[in-house]
Amino acid sequence: MRRSVLGLAVLLAGTLSLGACDNAATFDFTIVSGSENEILEPVVMAFCAAQKVACHMSYLGSLDIGLGLRPGQEATVDAVWPASSIWIEMFDSGRKVTHLQSISQNPVVLGVRKSKAQSLGWTAGPVTTAEILKAVDGGTLRFLMTSATQSNSGASAYLAMLAAAHGKAVLEAGDLDDAATLDQVARLLHGVERSSGSSGWLAQLYRDGTRKGAVYDAMWNYEAVIKETNDALRRDGHEPLWAVYPAEGVAVADSPLGFVARGRGQEVEDFFIALQAYLLSPEAQAQIAATGRRIALGRAAQAPPEPDWNFDPGRLATAVRMPEPAVIRKALTLYQEALRRPSLTALCLDFSGSMAGEGESALRQAVSFLFSPERAAEVLVQWSPKDRIFVLPFDNEVEAVWRGTGSGDDQARLLGQVLTMSAGGGTDMYGCVRQATALMVPFLARDDFLPAIVIMTDGRSDGDPAGFLQARAADNGRIPIFGITFGDADRSQLETLAGATGARVFDGTKDLTGAFRSARGYN
Amino acid sequence: MSITRRGLGIGLMGASAAATAGYVYLRDTPWLQAPAALGGFIGGEKKAFLANPRTVAALAHAGFAVDGRQAGSVEMVRAPELLSQNPDFLWPSSSVMVEIARQSKLPLRRAQVILNSPIVVYSWSNVVAGLATAGLVARSPAGYATIDLLAFLKAVLADASWASIGVEALFGKARIAATDPNLSNSGFMFAGLVANLLSGDVATPDSLDKVGGAVETLFRRMGYKSHSSGSQFEDYLAGGPGAYPMSVGYESQLLEWIIADPARWSRVGRSASRPVILYPVPTVYSAHPLLTLKPAADGLVDALMSVPLQTIAWAEHGFRGPLGAPGAGAHPEVAAMVPEHLDAIAPMPEAAVMLALLERLAA
Repeated sequence: MRRSVLGLAVLLAGTLSLGACDNAATFDFTIVSGSENEILEPVVMAFCAAQKVACHMSYLGSLDIGLGLRPGQEATVDAVWPASSIWIEMFDSGRKVTHLQSISQNPVVLGVRKSKAQSLGWTAGPVTTAEILKAVDGGTLRFLMTSATQSNSGASAYLAMLAAAHGKAVLEAGDLDDAATLDQVARLLHGVERSSGSSGWLAQLYRDGTRKGAVYDAMWNYEAVIKETNDALRRDGHEPLWAVYPAEGVAVADSPLGFVARGRGQEVEDFFIALQAYLLSPEAQAQIAATGRRIALGRAAQAPPEPDWNFDPGRLATAVRMPEPAVIRKALTLYQEALRRPSLTALCLDFSGSMAGEGESALRQAVSFLFSPERAAEVLVQWSPKDRIFVLPFDNEVEAVWRGTGSGDDQARLLGQVLTMSAGGGTDMYGCVRQATALMVPFLARDDFLPAIVIMTDGRSDGDPAGFLQARAADNGRIPIFGITFGDADRSQLETLAGATGARVFDGTKDLTGAFRSARGYN
Repeated sequence: MSITRRGLGIGLMGASAAATAGYVYLRDTPWLQAPAALGGFIGGEKKAFLANPRTVAALAHAGFAVDGRQAGSVEMVRAPELLSQNPDFLWPSSSVMVEIARQSKLPLRRAQVILNSPIVVYSWSNVVAGLATAGLVARSPAGYATIDLLAFLKAVLADASWASIGVEALFGKARIAATDPNLSNSGFMFAGLVANLLSGDVATPDSLDKVGGAVETLFRRMGYKSHSSGSQFEDYLAGGPGAYPMSVGYESQLLEWIIADPARWSRVGRSASRPVILYPVPTVYSAHPLLTLKPAADGLVDALMSVPLQTIAWAEHGFRGPLGAPGAGAHPEVAAMVPEHLDAIAPMPEAAVMLALLERLAA
């Protein structure tokens, strides 16, 4: 019955579009989605164009999509398409989202460089979490994984690790107090070589790394994203990632598409219903299956197996059952405050003359957010006492070096110190990066930390990035240099540094606090 | 076949007589008058039935235009914000709700079970094959599958692995998923069934003291629980045996899914793992009693009990009649897979026991 109602809606939408005699769009329709769905944008857009609706797809991490659904938040989109319905369950307590339906099923797997997988003996049969832990403990395996608190693929991998470590089908709140479980998961997370707030960006990092010879061992990501990566790797003549499905079970993301009612009338809701019906039609499902996504029974055939990297969407993968939302919340806080690999972060803050006035005040606000534990905790980017932080205000030279841990006292002190600064002088960000690097190198020897330098600047810096990168000692190459732009900042200098070090640049011109927050998701 | 002139004449005469008789009959029947508009709350699983154009026409023929708004069964008999909307009728999904409605002092006029659907466990052919080797699932001579639910629940409570109960294809511990009993009726009914099975009889306040902890453990081990029986069933189909090896639902759900697209069902029939309905022995019926609150709605009971509407309910939506018997005219695939009679039906525990159980299971 539901099918025929949807069929009717498609027909209706079709009739509406036939009625429109010019090419002008009848209305706008905005969708916010997880980055892994970027590959499906053409499928969505083709339908929108046929219906003469101007669709806009934007991409956010699962946490951000969830935060936008909290009670009291004004709805700014017409549809949400996060990686997993758990993020809607956790945040949409007012039940704003309706017509929620899974579009595809996506196990989160560990893709291991094939030669690495072979040397570990993992291409011969099932691999257990205990074996993964052994490889991490022995220093033979490092992986890329998105931040569990910012992105669904990281959260999924992390929750599956917890469940496997505890040997239970489903995590319960009490399990998160078990010291042995926590120890095992912290050791597994020690394998994180790079993190990020986006699954799509992480895959890009892997591909770029391979191209540049900075070869990573492995990456936790959606089975379909591993396929997308392998397709690209093959085109470039590189070895693929071997898909490891931890035998204890994999977390499966259900990619739900839901409607957000915000009083735009029946026409908009009818369009959504038609769009969803289209995406679930055999024709669209076949296109979606071709990207390596698993398709529900009877909708379309799965993508053909690719045995050279252990891919077979028709094969049964035991799924880890998602815990109750309250348990997930507790687990995520635990990740951020205790279990993740600690951050080693240097903040290079531009206090040059051009920052006077508005820039200075925006920077103070952003730093206040960053060093206010309760505010940072709301969006799960709080520091932990294990973190090591350097703050370096600079103009044409570094004005001060303040250091601390992520403890509450240290954060308060660092904030107080930043608030004493006032803008003046020229701009040389390279000097700051050089000094930050020198401060960080001794810590890197211990291999305990996930390092990052974050430069916030509003202008054109003296010096040039190419010369700077050349002079940079080879052993410092593993510290990524992130950029946050403000005002009329010269983005190209920051882009060059970020591109060369596997980092990215965040736009702080509209929302400096938001940009700092995003950057934290990568460290 | 040719029609003779004489035959045609007789035919015309006959048609005219029928038309006259028809008019005489029809001028006293409601469908020449405007149908009476009735509003009320219904469980979500009956939405498709009420929206079916043939249902709408048959109800109009009986003189009714029914606007059924979706609400949870428990909330519709208790929530002041729903009752203050002055509904003409309520159509929840469990007969326990009649008792709770009486306790809520609702002005009940008629309360009649219209439809029935047994609570079942949805599984997959490859999982079921394993459970059969362990003796947990049996095939009836008629071809449908029954599950020894008590034995399965005990295995879950004992932390048994799938392998130890015959299912080699799945890793890890045996589990089953139901909806949140405080929000959705199928989870509510399953909680009652579980309490009965663990008590060894219909659960009472005394037996609940003994088995309540185990029921809590079972529901806690389900992890995340869906808020609606409809989404749970869709998640089951979408997730497949890896994600939803065992999922609680109504018998009508798969039947409706098959009838909605028989070609899809044929395609599915060829796949390595197919949906299988497991009938717990005993099980409980999710009855669908219509509760009328206004005189205008009283006649709706008789209309819904009429043969045409009962036939649509079964043949197109998989709902059994008030006594639990399947109707006529089902899709042949459906007719072959469901038992004609369910012999072992347990009553639900009484309302007070269920309310106490809900409290224990509240997250």
